[in-house]
Amino acid sequence: MTKLTFILPDGSSQEVEATAGHSVMKTAISNSVNGIVAECNGSLACATCHVFLDDASAAQIDPPGETENDLLDFAAVERKPTSRLSCQVMVDNLPEGAVITMPETQV
Amino acid sequence: MAISVPEYDGVTLEQMYDDPYPTYARLRKEAPVAWLKPANIHVVTKYEDIMQVERDQETFPSYDNRSLMIKVMGHTLMRRDGDDHKRHRKSLERTFSPVSVKKHWKPIFERIADEIIDDLYDKGQADIFADFAAPYASRCLKEVIGLPNMDWQDLSTWSQAFMDGVGNYGNDPETWARAKAAFKGIDNAIEDHYDGLKANPDYSALSSMFEVEDPIDMADIRANIKVIVGGGLNEPRDVTCTIVYALLTNPDQLEKFLANPALYKTIFEEAVRWVSPIGMYPRKVSKRVEIGGAILDEGDALGLVVASANRDSDRFENADKFDIDREKMAHIGFGAGPHFCAGTWVARAQVGEIAIPKLFERLPNLRLDPERESKFGGWVFRGPLSVPVVWDA
Repeated sequence: MTKLTFILPDGSSQEVEATAGHSVMKTAISNSVNGIVAECNGSLACATCHVFLDDASAAQIDPPGETENDLLDFAAVERKPTSRLSCQVMVDNLPEGAVITMPETQV
Repeated sequence: MAISVPEYDGVTLEQMYDDPYPTYARLRKEAPVAWLKPANIHVVTKYEDIMQVERDQETFPSYDNRSLMIKVMGHTLMRRDGDDHKRHRKSLERTFSPVSVKKHWKPIFERIADEIIDDLYDKGQADIFADFAAPYASRCLKEVIGLPNMDWQDLSTWSQAFMDGVGNYGNDPETWARAKAAFKGIDNAIEDHYDGLKANPDYSALSSMFEVEDPIDMADIRANIKVIVGGGLNEPRDVTCTIVYALLTNPDQLEKFLANPALYKTIFEEAVRWVSPIGMYPRKVSKRVEIGGAILDEGDALGLVVASANRDSDRFENADKFDIDREKMAHIGFGAGPHFCAGTWVARAQVGEIAIPKLFERLPNLRLDPERESKFGGWVFRGPLSVPVVWDA
């Protein structure tokens, strides 16, 4: 179990216990955390599960692959160095207590 | 409490063709999962129910041996699941990635749009459907699939034949015959272009599928080209027409667009929501399951009516209205889940970013022709059939 904190666009936060083997996208959706659309449900074809990781988490995990990196350029809210598509981030790779910030909008 | 699926027989297929939206509204309210008797299919009409289906590929696979698409086109990637589907999808990545669209396809689409508008300009009038959207979509598609030497009118005819075949729930024999002719026509065109593409690989879908590591079988490549021919022509064509019609019938919204061209993105997505060009697509039920309060059985054929979901009042306020100022909400016009439209980024550029701004920039005082009426038709696939316009040439 990894504990994750989601920060929503309105500033509020939501803590969830993530299930091993799930992506951050799946974790958010299955715990009813708002702010992720995930049009393609993890097929790496849209850019509607964009999130910002905290610096430590972003540094700890493998950087985005080529397609993810390309898609991030097309996210509705401009990317930052810690931007990721949450479908590509597995919770197992994140440190305990990782903080994930939702962008203002996904569309 | 869950019930067996209610039957709905209160509409004919002709009425659905003319305007399916009143029927969808009624179904959403009275029977969100229903057996639509005239079409012999279970339909799911509410947004959340469709999302539930699309998030569960195991219970609701895309493969169905009764598929009209497989009958008409062969076994395309749209009727595959899991890793098999992923492999097919991957083989098209070079063509459809947003970066390829930006760097490679946009200049080609711009040239084609300009050439068609150059030819039309002096006439001062046109049917956006027949004179712009159809040739534009077809000429762009020839490049995208990798069959540039084809006649665009042949491609357009065959695309329509495929789509009519895939939507032939009424089992009309003449429709099957046309689809068969299209199948042959596309296979011949692929044959004609094969050597050239193998010698000079490019960004086209054929070339992408030929050159990818671990390529799929040639028969599957041919099937995938056919599905792209179907979806790659009608849909951008119809959305182009829908946007022109929507803006010309909503002058306040047109004014906003002319003052702020960056709104093309919002306009494009709102048009795909408002009149979704693919109105319904199928899934199969692999095990007994409850959805929308109704029990479905193993083997049931489902139609996911995204055109209805995109007008679901539980999600969209005043859903029947084209409104670029509405609260931003994701629609489901490109589908959802693993089969999320592969051509989404191509369509956004081809129609939203290029065709629409060019039409309104280059044709002064563009307006609906007061003498000739616009027409819409279809339900499985729906869009304008004719949008006559005039401008000050």
